[in-house]
Amino acid sequence: MASNISQDLIWEVTRGYNAMMVKRKQAGGVQFSRDPLNLRNVHSRKQAGFVNDKAIGIQPGEKGGVKFMTKKAGKANKPASSLQTTTLGSSTSTRKTYRSIVNSTAKHNYRPDLRADAVARASAIRKTQKPVKPDPPSKPRGARARKATESESS
Amino acid sequence: MTTRPTVSILSPDGSASGNSHPLPEVFKAPIRPDIVQAVHTGMAKNRRQPYAVSEKAGHQTSAESWGTGRAVARIPRVSGGGTHRAGQAAFGNQCRSGRMFAPTKVWRKWHQKLNLNQKRFATASALAASSNAALLMARGHRVSTVPEVPLVVSSTAFAGAAITKTSAAVALLKAVGAGPDVDKVKKSRKTRAGKGKMRGRRHKQRRGPLVVYSPAEDGKELVRAFRNLPGVETCDVYALNLLQLAPGGHLGRFVVWTSAAFAALDTVYGSATEASALKKDFLLPSPLVRQPDLAKLINSSEVQSVLRPVKGGAITKRPMVQKKNPLRNRQILLRLNPYAGQYSKDKLGQQKKDEKEKIRATDEIMDLMHTN
Repeated sequence: MASNISQDLIWEVTRGYNAMMVKRKQAGGVQFSRDPLNLRNVHSRKQAGFVNDKAIGIQPGEKGGVKFMTKKAGKANKPASSLQTTTLGSSTSTRKTYRSIVNSTAKHNYRPDLRADAVARASAIRKTQKPVKPDPPSKPRGARARKATESESS
Repeated sequence: MTTRPTVSILSPDGSASGNSHPLPEVFKAPIRPDIVQAVHTGMAKNRRQPYAVSEKAGHQTSAESWGTGRAVARIPRVSGGGTHRAGQAAFGNQCRSGRMFAPTKVWRKWHQKLNLNQKRFATASALAASSNAALLMARGHRVSTVPEVPLVVSSTAFAGAAITKTSAAVALLKAVGAGPDVDKVKKSRKTRAGKGKMRGRRHKQRRGPLVVYSPAEDGKELVRAFRNLPGVETCDVYALNLLQLAPGGHLGRFVVWTSAAFAALDTVYGSATEASALKKDFLLPSPLVRQPDLAKLINSSEVQSVLRPVKGGAITKRPMVQKKNPLRNRQILLRLNPYAGQYSKDKLGQQKKDEKEKIRATDEIMDLMHTN
């Protein structure tokens, strides 16, 4: 990258509008981001994955589990080889998933500020992959319960 | 920086050719979205065709006002009888089939004069922005498969009119990793909303990669090969255009350079100290700020040395904290009453009072007290 461009400059150029940004007038003008390297999907300097030299991305894996990406710091102008991708499959326990995410990032001084967000996102993705429990049958109470017992006994 | 950064040149099949080229000086121009936007709005106006309503529209009737006294408005009214049109109001912009308000004229000021130096500044700035992958992504280009930005393809791919067919052009773009961006454009084609559909602007689509070539070395056959690819544009390196380099005034167009065109950039733009060979009186603008990285500025020894040291060190006593009940919270109790620890350790609270300590007043004293 040329020395005239910094992360801060890129952010100032793109913060008003960019391709990943989602702006809505509802809900007080919320601003979200579709960036795959954005852990909270919010449009902010800290979370903007395409701006920062170092960023963490966590996406659902194709076969369950999570896909965990980090940006290689020196490869900003080489998009094809700038991402380090690891797949933590569904057979990996959730705790191990979080541990390996934290061990390879925050504990190696790689965006320690994103530790909680990374774990929370991985956790949320794993939660969505659980089978949905059927609702338990409703237990009738009060007058309806009495009615039900009467109809059973008669 | 001791060595000039270099950009590797890709061979036509997408692998690294092993050659590289030093980054042309124009890529060090300052990124100025404000200038690019202002110049773009001006330049976009310079391609307009004049249009206007007919001079006669709404005036092709011999209407005259009826004057006062007929209990109708004094607007001109169509004369005669025998038809519904007779007696209807005419001419006014509020009238049915009247003329429009302020009819458009072909002599409207359609074009904008722009300062040449500003245009050159904007083009240099847009070129510099095209060398940054983050800005390309922010513009919406699909560049995650591109090996390097700026993307330079060896001119051997085009030598001897090698690319004359669109199929060859597609194969080249796919090989160098620009395939997803071309596909994105193809999928993006939508019918335009509104009246533009009937005015020659039926569809809307995204912009794909811009192929910049040098006509002397690469030939012009590639223009025909690329022109039927939706969103893909070609441009001569000696005639770079801001409307293509920053579509919509947004920085970060994805540019595919031929190596000959890339090498020509230094002759086209020169540097911040050496005048351009082809542009009269032009020096590249140099950035006002040498170090644009805020984190580096803040953490520099120059700034840190004049800052007041952090108060309190690692553990800071916070003045405003929630009040805690010392009767329930033992730590707070110990802080208020250091004796409380020893008191509970000795179990003084649980001790019974000794019986012998209960001294009753003697009868004499009681008598004394009761005497009045």
